[in-house]
This record gives sequence, structure tokens and C-alpha cells, in this order.
Amino acid sequence: MKTQLAMVVDSSLCIDCKGCMAACKVENKVPEGHWRNWIKNDGVDFSMGETFSRMHFQPGNCMHCDVPTCVHACPTGATYKDEKDGVVKVDERLCIGCGSCIPACPYGARYRHPVKKIVDKCDFCDHRRARGELPACVITCPTKARAFGDINDPDSDVSRMLKDNKTVRVVNRESDTRPNIYYMGATAPLNWPVRAQAPTPIRWWGDWAKQLVWAVVGINALGVLAMLGKQLFVNDPEPGHESDSTDGGKPVETEETDHE
Amino acid sequence: MSDEQSIQKDDAEEKEQMERHTKLSIFMHWFNAACWLFLLATGIGLIRNADLQPVGGWWTDMMRGIFGGGANLLLVHEIVGILWTLVFLVYVIAKAKEVVPFLKEVFTIDPKRDVLWLVNKGIQMTLGYKALYKLDGILKGRFGYKPVIPDQGFYNVGQKMFAIPSILGGVVIVVTGAIMTASNVMLENTAPVQWAILIHFLTVGFVFAGLLIHVYMASIAAGERPAFISMFTGKVPQDYAMHHHKLWYDEVREGR
Ligand code: HEM
Ligand code: SF4
Ligand code: SF4
Repeated sequence: MKTQLAMVVDSSLCIDCKGCMAACKVENKVPEGHWRNWIKNDGVDFSMGETFSRMHFQPGNCMHCDVPTCVHACPTGATYKDEKDGVVKVDERLCIGCGSCIPACPYGARYRHPVKKIVDKCDFCDHRRARGELPACVITCPTKARAFGDINDPDSDVSRMLKDNKTVRVVNRESDTRPNIYYMGATAPLNWPVRAQAPTPIRWWGDWAKQLVWAVVGINALGVLAMLGKQLFVNDPEPGHESDSTDGGKPVETEETDHE
Repeated sequence: MSDEQSIQKDDAEEKEQMERHTKLSIFMHWFNAACWLFLLATGIGLIRNADLQPVGGWWTDMMRGIFGGGANLLLVHEIVGILWTLVFLVYVIAKAKEVVPFLKEVFTIDPKRDVLWLVNKGIQMTLGYKALYKLDGILKGRFGYKPVIPDQGFYNVGQKMFAIPSILGGVVIVVTGAIMTASNVMLENTAPVQWAILIHFLTVGFVFAGLLIHVYMASIAAGERPAFISMFTGKVPQDYAMHHHKLWYDEVREGR
């Protein structure tokens, strides 16, 4: 089976130290005001009294989905799912920075880089993995809440965790992208992913613009075929002309032309 | 007056050539055609998304194969697009004396004469001359209809109907292309970029549709050979000019 890198997160271990966010930011030089990963929480729960108040933290990042709506929104293929490791990547040189993919991610995992003017997001630390190292967030986490590996390799830690535990995925009912971050047991919050939607021009292109262009090209092609057929197979001598040349463009009758 | 008579009458005069295109305008036409076809092929190859790709994924694969990946394909598309734009900018500015009369000619329409030409020429090219008389029998002179293909000027209105959208379309393609190229260099707002992508695609599609007719008319249609040759030599025989562009012929004859 093909490699699919994934994360299995035990969110009950997360203490909201934000080590993963800081490590990622430094490692990937993420500009001010933007993050490639996050820690969500479900708000403070005082139901057991102030002393026993609790809060649940949920670390996350791009989920390298099996049905990546971001890839589907990208016109150029700059955003693509790499067959080799199942990671959804951005080809920086092919990205035109149109931003079509940004609202197409239910998780808000993408942002437009304010300096590079192209889209940026988590790539499971491609450059670190090339050196045989784990992603920065995984290696940094003090409670080891984030486990990382190939879920299609039955011998990997993540596969075993998936086999031995009940896991959940956080999805928006209207846009189930089949994300590759699994949460052990239960997690919260669950209601934050939005409906994935490509911007209007991209949707219009697929909905009718492509068909319209084909229709217009088709009509003109039929016109050309009609003219070609007539030219090749029909003897249509010009009236008042002995020769059978199909020389076009002559007045059929002599017409007085008014000169300005 | 028919070919044979006129040739008999004054062979030497009728075979004389008339200046139709300058060397520079011929170069610009073929430069434009080469850029256009190159940009068309590479541009379609830039569309990876299957919903948007009008030809099919095989075209995208083939183009990316030839140019060594999508990023390089984008780069050559942008470079040739910029070259195309710059060369035209220089041409239009430096040769305004040649360009302005061309634009004037192309954008001047004589509605009554030209609509009749379009209808009748269209019928003649597809159904034949007989259909013109049938139509005349049906209409019996209503709507001012006559079974005639009216005389035309330097360009006939069919040529103008291609030239106008291809000039205006060219401007739209350049502007939207520039917006997309600028997107990852300096633009902050992405909404114009997303609209530019759609408008770029639509405009190219429409001009391409017209191009099918243009290329047929220019290189295959019966009787149009001299025009094709003139796109290399710059000259057409007088008898051709008289038959196809009578108003222009008369104008030149009258020395205007
Ligand atoms: C590649 C195949 C092409 C061929 C064989 C071709 C041929 C010709 C010829 C023979 C003429 C001269 C007509 C005359 O003197 O009356 C002409 C004119 C012209 N061509 Fe092309 N052309 C080609 C591509 C293009 C392209 C790609 C464009 C623009 C997108 C274009 C735009 C024009 C325009 C605007 C004119 C002047 C007005 C008109 O004839 O409509 N051509 N072409
Ligand atoms: S989480 Fe968002 S950006 Fe990441 S693969 Fe899924 S849809 Fe794309
Ligand atoms: S901004 Fe997103 S949709 Fe646009 S080209 Fe880049 S990756 Fe593709």
C-alpha cells in the first residue's frame, strides 16, 4: 500500500504549552500573524466548581486529507497530494498566489504568505524528513501528544495506535475531506471546521465557463466543416459565370457602389 | 465583369500587384500568430484541475513533460506573454502612423451593407449561391434583402468581425495575464486575481473560436489564396483586389 503519513494525537495529553506552535514557527520561518499549526480549546468547564474547572486542548495542523478540497480548488496544480508520502504540498514556483485554495480548506490550514505572496501551510516538515528527522512539532511536544508515521505500514507506531484505540476525526459534515489526523478516544472542540468552498470564479469556470467555451468553439468548428464540405463536394458556380471556380466574394449581381 | 473578360481585356494591367501589407505588419502578424499558438498550448497545459481543464489531463501531462514540470511551464508562459506584450507596445507606440489607420479601418462598420454581406456570404460559403435566390424568393425584398454579396473595403466585415474581438480580446488577455503575473510579486488582494483567471480563460476561448474561422478563411477557403500569399509578399494582384475588396480597389485607383 502507498505511504500515507499521518498524525495520531492524544489530545488529552496536551497541556497547551504551545511548544509545537513555537517550534513550527521557527523551523518554517512562518511570518508574524500567521501559523501553520494550532491548539484549539473547548472553553473552560466550571460544571464541577471552580477548583475542578477543566479545559480540553486539541493540537492540529493541515490534515493532509485523502479528499483534499484545497487540491481540488487549485487551478494550476501547485497544491497537490504527493503520491510518495501522501503529504499535501505546495509547489512554490507553480503557485500564482491566487488564494483559491484558502477558503477551500475546512480547517483554515492555509494562509497567503505576506512576503512571498504565495500560499503556505504545513508540509509535515518536508525538509526535516528529508534528513530523516521528525516534524518539529512532534519532536518538541513535551507530553508526546503528537504521534507521527505511515498509517499504511502495519508495523508503524501510528498504525498500532489506530488498531488498539478508538479514534475520531474532526470533520465538517458538509465537507468530509477524510483528514489524516486522528484523535485518540474523544476530542473537543468538534464544531469548528467550516464548509469548504472554492471562490466564485473558480466554481463558475467548472460550472459553466468551460462548457460555454466548448459550445462557441464547437459552433465555429461546425461552421468551418460546413464551408469545407461545400468547398470540396459541391459544385456551386457563381451565377452568370461559365467557369466552375468557387471563387467567393464577388457580387452575384453587379451592384452600383456608392463612393464617398 | 468576369475574370476571363478582364484578363483578356488588359492582361498586363490586371496582373499588376497592389501593395497590401508592409513588411513590418507582416512580421507583426506572424509574430502574433506564433506567440498566440505557443501561449495557447502552454496556457492550457497550466490547467491541472480536471474540472477546469477543457482538453484533458493528457494535455497537461504532455506540456509539463515537454517543459520539465509545471513550474517551468508557468515560467515560459509568463516570459513569452511578457515578450508578446512588450513587442506590441513598442510597435503600437513607434508605428502609430501604421496602427491608427489599421484600427480605424477595422473598427469602421457600415451596418446595412455589412449585415447583408455577413448573411449572404455566410449562406454562399455553406449552402451555395442557389440558396441566396431561394431566400430572395421567400423574402421578396422585405427587410431590404437582395441576393447580393455587397462590395467591401480593405477588410471585409467578416475579417473585421474577427479583428475586433481579437484586438479587444488581446487587450483583455494582456491585462488579466499581467494581474496574474503580478499576483505573487506584489498584489495583496486575491479577488482580482481569481477573476482574472476566469476572464483570461473565457477570452482566450472566444478568440480561439474565431481563430478557427480565420485560419480556414485565410489558408483553405477557395479564392483566398492571394490574401494568404500577401501575408508573405505584402502584395495582391489587382484583379483579386477588385473582386474581394472593391471599395479599397476603387479608393486606391482614385488615388486617395
Ligand atoms: C496561424 C495561422 C494564421 C494564418 C494562416 C493567418 C492568416 C492571415 C492572413 C492571410 C491574413 C491577411 C488577410 C488579408 O490580407 O485580407 C491575416 C490577417 C489577420 N490576422 Fe491572421 N493568420 C493566422 C493566425 C492569426 C492569429 C493567431 C491572430 C490573432 C489572434 C490573427 C489575427 C489577424 C488579424 C487581426 C488580421 C487582420 C484582419 C483580418 O484579416 O481579420 N491571425 N491572417
Ligand atoms: S487540511 Fe486543508 S489544507 Fe490540509 S489537505 Fe486538508 S483541505 Fe488541504
Ligand atoms: S494560491 Fe492556492 S489555489 Fe492559487 S495557485 Fe497557489 S496553491 Fe493553487
